[in-house]
Amino acid sequence: MIKKKMTTAFFALTMATGMLLTGCGGEEQAATKTKKEAAKSDEPVTLQFWDENAGPARTPVWEEVIKRFEEKNPNINVEYVGIPNSSAKSKYDAAIAADDMPDIGSVQTTWLPEFSIREALLPLDSHFEKSDISKKINPSATGVNKKITQDGKLYGIPYAQNLDALWIRTDWFEQASVQEPKTWDEFFTVIEKMRDQANNRYGFTIRGGAGASFTIQRAMFAYSGLDFFDKNGKTNINDPKHVEFVEKYFSYYDKLTPKSDITNGYKEMIAGFDTGVVAMVHHNPGSYGEHNKALPAGSYKLIPLPTTEKGQYVAEGGNAVNLAIFKSTEHADEAWKFVEFVNSEEAQSYWNQQTGQIPTNSDVLDDKWVQDAQHIKTAFEVYNNPDTKLYEPPFYLPDYRAILDGVVDPGVQAVMSGKMSAKDFLDEWAKAIEDSKAKYDQTFKK
Amino acid sequence: MSYSQGVTETVVNSNKAVNRKKIKKDKWVPYLFILPSFLIILGFLFYPIATVFYYSVQHYDVSAPYYNGFAGLENFKEIFTNDKMFIPSLMNSLKWVVTEVGLQLTFGMILALLLNQTFKFRGVIRAVAFIPWAISGVLASTMWSLMFNEHMGVLNDLLMKMGIVDEPQAFLASTSTAFTSVIIAELWRGIPFFAITLLASLSSIPVELYEAARVDGASRWKSFIYVTLPQLKNTIVLTTLLRVVWEFNNVDLLFNLTGGGPAHSTTTLTMYIADLAVHGSNFGYGSALTVVSFGILLVFAILYLKLSRYEKE
Amino acid sequence: MFTANKKVDKLLTLYLPLTMLLSFTIFPIYWTLNTAFKPEGDIVKRPLQYMPINPTTENFVTAWTNVGFATFFKNSLIVGVSTVLVVLVCSTLSGYALSRYQFKGKRSFMIMLLCTQFIPRAMMIIPLFVIFKNLGLISNPLSLIITYTAIEIPFTTILMSGFISNVPKELEEAAVIDGCTKLQALRFVVFPLLLPGIVATGVFTFIYTWNEFLIALMLTNQQSKFTLPVGLSTMMGEFSINYGALAAGSVIALIPAVILFAYAQKHLVNGMGGAVKG
Repeated sequence: MIKKKMTTAFFALTMATGMLLTGCGGEEQAATKTKKEAAKSDEPVTLQFWDENAGPARTPVWEEVIKRFEEKNPNINVEYVGIPNSSAKSKYDAAIAADDMPDIGSVQTTWLPEFSIREALLPLDSHFEKSDISKKINPSATGVNKKITQDGKLYGIPYAQNLDALWIRTDWFEQASVQEPKTWDEFFTVIEKMRDQANNRYGFTIRGGAGASFTIQRAMFAYSGLDFFDKNGKTNINDPKHVEFVEKYFSYYDKLTPKSDITNGYKEMIAGFDTGVVAMVHHNPGSYGEHNKALPAGSYKLIPLPTTEKGQYVAEGGNAVNLAIFKSTEHADEAWKFVEFVNSEEAQSYWNQQTGQIPTNSDVLDDKWVQDAQHIKTAFEVYNNPDTKLYEPPFYLPDYRAILDGVVDPGVQAVMSGKMSAKDFLDEWAKAIEDSKAKYDQTFKK
Repeated sequence: MSYSQGVTETVVNSNKAVNRKKIKKDKWVPYLFILPSFLIILGFLFYPIATVFYYSVQHYDVSAPYYNGFAGLENFKEIFTNDKMFIPSLMNSLKWVVTEVGLQLTFGMILALLLNQTFKFRGVIRAVAFIPWAISGVLASTMWSLMFNEHMGVLNDLLMKMGIVDEPQAFLASTSTAFTSVIIAELWRGIPFFAITLLASLSSIPVELYEAARVDGASRWKSFIYVTLPQLKNTIVLTTLLRVVWEFNNVDLLFNLTGGGPAHSTTTLTMYIADLAVHGSNFGYGSALTVVSFGILLVFAILYLKLSRYEKE
Repeated sequence: MFTANKKVDKLLTLYLPLTMLLSFTIFPIYWTLNTAFKPEGDIVKRPLQYMPINPTTENFVTAWTNVGFATFFKNSLIVGVSTVLVVLVCSTLSGYALSRYQFKGKRSFMIMLLCTQFIPRAMMIIPLFVIFKNLGLISNPLSLIITYTAIEIPFTTILMSGFISNVPKELEEAAVIDGCTKLQALRFVVFPLLLPGIVATGVFTFIYTWNEFLIALMLTNQQSKFTLPVGLSTMMGEFSINYGALAAGSVIALIPAVILFAYAQKHLVNGMGGAVKG
């Protein structure tokens, strides 16, 4: 009997394996068939939506937005899929490579050129122009999205922007009677003044770990006010002004900023601020929720990054998140309805208020909560200031991100630990950008 | 019990020739036994592994499809002539694997020997001792980074309370301590692995062998060397081998605690590959590096099995 | 005098080293628990609280209710138990073949098993995705069960073959001579002696599936099909980490594992010694 049982089990297993192996072709046909049938029927449509930055702060907000959308569109279901930020890009990569994409995705601006060139996304120009939201959405944000793609089309509608800024401890500044820094010179003086050895307080914390490249790039362009490329198409990365800035900026490490800065990622950096160790941190309005939890109200606030010598604010273009529709969708019209809804005043207002990002829909500006939220208002004012300079990094270069991760991040640590000079670091960075650009230009602009 | 008593008695009288004949007749049996495993691996792992080899001779960057195409040996040439990260990261891998596996084996063995003795609350203590193994990578890395933190980490707090350090240390930030810190965190998670396998093996050592050794007047140390170790040899050889391969490819904690820094001082080869392929989407070059590391591991495995005289008494 | 000596001896060779090793093991676990019971604001506050001053179960409630934790838990359980069953059958069979038979291709089979472990998982994601997409199994627990089985088989086969080698061949042969069929010999003689090994193998497999993150994330496109580690990872967003809920969620996730260990450790005792004695 035992023998019989074991043999049966064994054969069942082998058969199952065999069926799986040969099942390939059949399953695929079946799948395409059901898809076609679904398209024909009038049954409720289900859209899959991927959130590229799921977390305790955002997931519930999206769920609420989706609920409101479904109430207005009873025949459309939106299925939320939350992906942790650190794995989102590779999840999209695999999905595109295997041609199994969602209907709608939340997509960072920097991914747009790549996804569009991989023919994963649907151009949204005609939908957008016909829609009311085209009059409301910040034109500079959509402008960047068009500029960076190869064919100049609009592949993503920005529903939230972000802006690098400084969080400061106002109570400490008052105690020490130090003024908020307006220029970079003042910024450096503040670092020195706010160092308080007795209380184990530092003036500033440098981001040296994950994400360091973004921070240093934005800080140095905010200092110089230069464009990413000069008139001859050479990059300004290693401009003497940047060398001067980077040298000074990192010279504070380990003397006037904490030693752990060299591996500081987002959470360590914010922890430094929230536990009362540093007086100033370079981040963005998005971390408001964390400070709100840890610090007493009124003891901190957001101020813009210092201005250039000419008194100009600088912001990096394309610091936004977008909704994109994937080409493989069978319900493009329904998907657009969702995109339109998320960008409506109501939804954007709710979403951005809850997550502490800056809305792109101009109607939201007048909302009371924006006027009351110091950090959002400040960031808004920077974007709305006609003199604010926007520079556009070449997101379209296929290895733009790889250069930031592979050359700039380690380079920052090398400079911080004194293994490399600021000039060598910036030269290396500039060369990587220029090599990549030359290769790209050769492919596309023959 | 009476059944096994009967068995042992007959062992003495067993006629081996009869069995040899029986085994010969069942020539197809081993193949039948390995068939399910073989099919599952062939069906689901062969293709992914073959892809790696295929892409290693291609320019394949998912983010820049317009550059893709046959590369021949260019990727490999780049690795050996131009890649400044290859050798240092390989060295880090070596350092990582040797320390990790060596320490895990040593402490795992000690723990297994301790837990194999009889004492009060042994069941509870055993279950507790194994818990780190059951903790997910997500939690392990978050907890350790919280504990190592310079500003709010409990380790700094403890060390300062005990007067060992005067000011908070940035364990993960200095080239001199970052590696050690991650080693400790991974060690914490890895000890139970060896403890469990060795304990399972210890359980199967016949008590008679120890009794015989005791009759011969062997000390505890001697009976460990002459009875325990030889009995555990096959388990040790194989689990160490697998652990080496796993630790070689394990980037969980490194990734979350130091991200390979500061200044690449904790970037292992696998981490470098993951950075390139997953974050840089350069699968072609990443595959070539994987093929190289595949070769290294294969040579190591074969040599290791040969030199350890696996399955030989 | 004699007993005092024995006590000192036990202290030095058992209690002292065990306490040292255990404190190393327990501290981070204790810290996780401590974190799990603290209200959110207190976790990153200084001075550090070694015991929660305002203990709360709020994190557990958040973890369990807010993020669909119960569903993730169930999904993980389904995947884990199924994988363990399939792996045990496959690896006991192949482990037996490896340890008891000499056959052509044995070495190649061993090398093949090892080779599957040489490739970082991250490099296999896209091809795996393609396979399961063609099978129509994306977001289906079967895709995870199959992948985990394939990945675990090499290790468990080798592990089992080691355990089987430890069971003296003669015992089995004797049973066959006594009139048992080969399979009866396996069932009544080898299997009981093998139990510690089977338990250890099962535990390893379960824990692996319970904690695997990357493949589970990649092969699942539906929130309702996420396993625990994937669900836990969404507690850490770029702009917010809920340490308390993460710790609480992980503590809940630990429960089955701890039960499993408590059960398993009973079988890691001198099973062999008992059987041969007599």
